[in-house]
Amino acid sequence: MSTEDADADGPRRFRLMKGLELTSRQLFYVFVGVLALFLVPEIQGFQSSLRVRTVYLGLCWGIAAVGVNLLLRHAELVSFGHAAFFGGGVYGAALAARYGGIEEAVLLVAAGVLVATTLGVLIGWLVAGYLDIYFALITLAFNQLLFAVVMGSPELLGSDDGLSVRPTSELSRPTVFGLELGPAQYEVLTYYVLIAVVVVTLVVTWRLVNSPFGRALDAIGQDRTRARFIGIPVKRYVWGTFVISAVYGGLAGGLYGLTALRARPEGTLFALRSGELLFMAILGGFQTLLGPIVGGVALTYMLTELRFATEYWEFATGFALLLIVFLLPNGVIGSLPAIVDGLRARARNPAKVSGDVRFLGGLLGSKLRDAAETTKILLFGVK
Amino acid sequence: MLEARNLIKEFGELRATDDVSLRFGVEEGEMVFIVGPNGAGKTTLINLLTGLLEPDEGSVVMHEGTGDGTVERDITDMRPDKRVKEGLVRSFQIVHLFEEMTVRENVRTASLSNHGRISEMRSLDDEHETVERDVDELLEQFRLKDVADEVAETLPHGDRKLLDVAISFALDPDYLLLDEPTSGVGSEEKEYVIETVVEASKEQNVSTVTIEHDMDIVRDYADRMVALVEGRVFREGSPTLLDTDAELRRTLLGVTEDE
Repeated sequence: MSTEDADADGPRRFRLMKGLELTSRQLFYVFVGVLALFLVPEIQGFQSSLRVRTVYLGLCWGIAAVGVNLLLRHAELVSFGHAAFFGGGVYGAALAARYGGIEEAVLLVAAGVLVATTLGVLIGWLVAGYLDIYFALITLAFNQLLFAVVMGSPELLGSDDGLSVRPTSELSRPTVFGLELGPAQYEVLTYYVLIAVVVVTLVVTWRLVNSPFGRALDAIGQDRTRARFIGIPVKRYVWGTFVISAVYGGLAGGLYGLTALRARPEGTLFALRSGELLFMAILGGFQTLLGPIVGGVALTYMLTELRFATEYWEFATGFALLLIVFLLPNGVIGSLPAIVDGLRARARNPAKVSGDVRFLGGLLGSKLRDAAETTKILLFGVK
Repeated sequence: MLEARNLIKEFGELRATDDVSLRFGVEEGEMVFIVGPNGAGKTTLINLLTGLLEPDEGSVVMHEGTGDGTVERDITDMRPDKRVKEGLVRSFQIVHLFEEMTVRENVRTASLSNHGRISEMRSLDDEHETVERDVDELLEQFRLKDVADEVAETLPHGDRKLLDVAISFALDPDYLLLDEPTSGVGSEEKEYVIETVVEASKEQNVSTVTIEHDMDIVRDYADRMVALVEGRVFREGSPTLLDTDAELRRTLLGVTEDE
């Protein structure tokens, strides 16, 4: 009997809370994952390419992507405008610092959540009845509208210079839980707080998608008409979910503001960022809970760190993304089980590797032939 | 009792429903069958009754209680999901299922909605005992127990039809409007599907309104029959009209009796 069979028979489960049970192996992975995140500041000391700042910003984008994924995976709605809420969160924090005189990090984040939630309530109400491409385009339009508003008000919102999230007093950065900290301590403490937020976000999301409400969202995504005719108030539920995902965006944006310390329209509110949020979810595996977080960190890393490694960083980023999309259609996390199974099979039977080589060779060959064909058609007009 | 009052619905030039007034579920558990040629406005009528479409004129009224104590409620402007909560449930000609869910999850989702628990954000644990009991009973009743863990989209057509009806019954209907429950089902399975529906309706005292093309089924099961032609009520009465009314036979079946 193999070990997998033993697993299927019923491994020991640990009940973390009502409804949330993990096998010992899952618990181990969770532990390792959180530990690895906690160790990032330590590693930064002697390995400078693993920067806390980048991981921090990546995790923020990841939280927002979890919100986007709530609509994408369950209600099957593609929002092209969720940077509105991420940006709304960053600007909420900046506005609170600039005009509210607020210096406490927790309150700044709360202000971000407040602004994003308000936006989510309004925009959500207007888009909840739409589907497919209309939903995508209208969310995109609202995103662009907000961007235009920010760009068009240099006095109040700083136009393309952005707004500082730093306190207006002589303090150079916000206080955390009332503590005035130096740069290094500030970085580490906010980072640890963020990890706690990530864990809480994931647990809350897990509970949400595995609740009857989550099932209602699945129902809406899979057949909206049927959902209505089993008594689900579809529009209200979509609106509610939209607001929840805006809260995630605002929370993420507020936290982002604590480290970026400046709200910039291009970097946080521009519609291209909405596309990146979608990409993060898909890259990490949108059929999984953890995928968007992993995608957020991975894409942010590629976009910010690769430029120091190579002159052709944009090309390299694009190429890496293409590879992942073609080779791992279920995203990084979504493909893990298949990868692990594949590796196990090859460990048992090394002959399979030659099959892989043949497969890749064949794939490459056919692509090259296609390319040659296309070139011929382009040059000579015939095959 | 469910009443259509002078319903009119136009699609451009076409008057799909032309001043239709009908009563359904006059007695509790009554089985009414709607017959008529293609384009007679049968599905439009069901869409108007269930709120998928809004009528241009006329109203949909629900009568509650019996005898002298009846109360009239105009539900013409009520949202479809609210009507479901009032006991007005439907199925579709082309089945609408939650395709990526298992058979059990399909029925469970409907049952959670029926028990008013679908908005809960707590986890789906073993705390929904009444829901689980209902789901088990329905799977048994509609002979879907063996395929309970199959994903809906992989089911054969007959089972899909049954699942669609099982979802409807999970909503504990007073009135069940079935749009061709046997369409596309093989002749042997047909009997089986309709038999199951009839059995379940009798058991739970559900009044049904069924669109049906198979006249044998109408003869066998109808308490009352309504024939629609070009958006109007052409005949209403006993299913024996199918054999006795020459004009009806001509219009409906294309049968011309000699002499």
